[in-house]
Amino acid sequence: MQQLFTGTYYFPANSQAESAEVRVNGDTLNLYYQQQCILATNLSLVSVSSAIPGVAQELSFTDGGKFVIGNTQHRLQLGSGALSAEALEKNKKLIFSAIFLVPLLLWFSIAIALPKLAAGSVKYLPDSVAEQMGRQTFYALQKTILEPSELDTPLREQTITQWQQALDELGLSRKKFQLHVFKSDYFGANAFALPNGTVVITDQLLILLKDKPNAVLAILLHEIGHVEHQHSLRMVAQSVSSSVAIAVIFGDLEGFGEVLIGTGSTLLQNAFSREMESEADQFALNNLVKLGKPPQAFAEAMQSFVQPIDGSSEEHDTDNKSIFRYLSTHPDINERIHAAEQFQPAN
Amino acid sequence: MDVNQASNQSNQEKVTTIEFSGKSGEFFGIWIVNILLSIITLGIYSAWATVRTKSYFYGNTKIDGHAFSYLAKPLQILKGRLLAIAFFVVYSIIANFYPLAGIGLAIVLLFLTPWLIIQSLRFSNRMTSYRNVRFDFHGTYGQAFITFILLPILGVLTAYLAMPWVVKKMNQYVLSNTSYGDQQLTTFIETKEYYLAVLYSILVTIVGVGAIAAIIFLATGIASMTALSAISGITGVLLFASYFILMSLINAVYTVKIRNHMFNNTEFENLAKFRSTMTLVPYATLVLTNLLAIVFTLGLAYPWTAIRSSRYAASCTQVKLHENADSVVDTMGEQKSAFGDEAADVFDVGVSAF
Repeated sequence: MQQLFTGTYYFPANSQAESAEVRVNGDTLNLYYQQQCILATNLSLVSVSSAIPGVAQELSFTDGGKFVIGNTQHRLQLGSGALSAEALEKNKKLIFSAIFLVPLLLWFSIAIALPKLAAGSVKYLPDSVAEQMGRQTFYALQKTILEPSELDTPLREQTITQWQQALDELGLSRKKFQLHVFKSDYFGANAFALPNGTVVITDQLLILLKDKPNAVLAILLHEIGHVEHQHSLRMVAQSVSSSVAIAVIFGDLEGFGEVLIGTGSTLLQNAFSREMESEADQFALNNLVKLGKPPQAFAEAMQSFVQPIDGSSEEHDTDNKSIFRYLSTHPDINERIHAAEQFQPAN
Repeated sequence: MDVNQASNQSNQEKVTTIEFSGKSGEFFGIWIVNILLSIITLGIYSAWATVRTKSYFYGNTKIDGHAFSYLAKPLQILKGRLLAIAFFVVYSIIANFYPLAGIGLAIVLLFLTPWLIIQSLRFSNRMTSYRNVRFDFHGTYGQAFITFILLPILGVLTAYLAMPWVVKKMNQYVLSNTSYGDQQLTTFIETKEYYLAVLYSILVTIVGVGAIAAIIFLATGIASMTALSAISGITGVLLFASYFILMSLINAVYTVKIRNHMFNNTEFENLAKFRSTMTLVPYATLVLTNLLAIVFTLGLAYPWTAIRSSRYAASCTQVKLHENADSVVDTMGEQKSAFGDEAADVFDVGVSAF
């Protein structure tokens, strides 16, 4: 079968261009310029550009010359019946299904597959990683937003002693889960645990829960629940892997990728942290029961965030701010209070 | 000086517009099917997707009846991407797990950045051809380090007063090191224009913020100023909308002025001169409607926005071609096989001058 194409021939190594004609017969390709055959070659030596809808096909020759087919619809038939990408890109049914499949697969891979993968893979990280991560973060925090506690020494010591007793009873390491008290205007009334087990509680939170030692305990147990479940490491693994996935899939589509990264990843991160919060809640509730404390202590702690104890109006204001900060990362507080009140230990 | 007014020799010149023939429907099919294939193949196909998308835009952009070609091969892009991902993962792990070591790594990255910028400019230029002649980039590391690292630091130290000049230096670096075959790009861009562009943007910001404040004032009413906290949802939406309109306008003031200035003052001597005639309102409208379309279709309008942006940019650009246009010599043909720029092929990071 003979194939005939009209188009433009570009001479090797310079920008000269002339109208020309290509005839393909079996394995032989002939190039005609002004009715004369100026090039004859075997098809296997011609590099044929991949067919793309609406783009003229290019035939490049070994000497550096190039022929561009004039009609953007015409294609050089190479005989192989392989499924071409162009056929897929023009397939109406596939395009239509892709409109639904793409969002579904994206959601599945970023919200389900990658978190699973991240949770699975962090188990294999050596302990020294969590140790270093915690130690270096703690150092950085002390240099920046943590200030020495201004609380009375007895109150501080009492909190620490109570914590150590609880750890002993639960068979957890005193050395790993060291509790520190700091003042921090940045964190406000808050508590957090670093990946290596270092636990920090702020002056402001201790004041807020002054007469509720069990509530303090509940919050601290919740925080080390995050450590035991390797939540920080999982967060890092998830955010790195989803950034890579998004960058790879939308790499060349700047505008779209940005929109997706901007809005999507914040929503997703909230979804991650909601799941992790309830895991940490479960850990706290189970261990409160083990200690013989009422699980309602956890509800009490949450409650005090919703209805801060009345103080001077000035303090009230700053408390409110810190509570909003706490809530933004700890969603559905009422749901959690309810869950704690209804808590039945597993055994 | 405006090169279009510069005296020419008696050579023949012809003025052509850039023609863009991409179609939204056609590109939508390419785009969505390529994303689907990329996801199914766990990202591997994305290298092919990149090449096909670039080829679509290049192949549909014509000057004087000749289209541009994108020459990169998917496997080159795939190699580069795997390397970039490996680097990104290592960097993220170190920065997240060892915050202090991350600082050291950031310094390493600082010295690596100029090299990466050069590699990516070289790659994208060499992979672009027009009339079977390729573009190239000749910038050196030393210049790049000064332009992209030291000057921005200086800009910050001068309380951003020197920043417009720094941005001009960056554009100048990219433009003046670009070549097409044996022809070097020459640029006459002026610092003054960058300061004016920034000044106009600041003026628009002040007027815009003032206007928005006035709208709020009127909307809430003088009497109910004390009840400002009770701003209704509608006012909130209006405020949000006017914020986006203002942002698009500020962006447009700067972009339009700088793009026109760069095109009108850059040329391939004895080969081609350029003219850009972008105007403020159409461009701002384009950017704003693109943003709205992408948000309200959850991204599905992306192909439409990309096609109309390219069509608009092409329609605002004229090229004055010299009769020498068909005698440019490709200097890279021999070089390529001789040196085989492996490093340049590996990095596919985008830095664009326009």
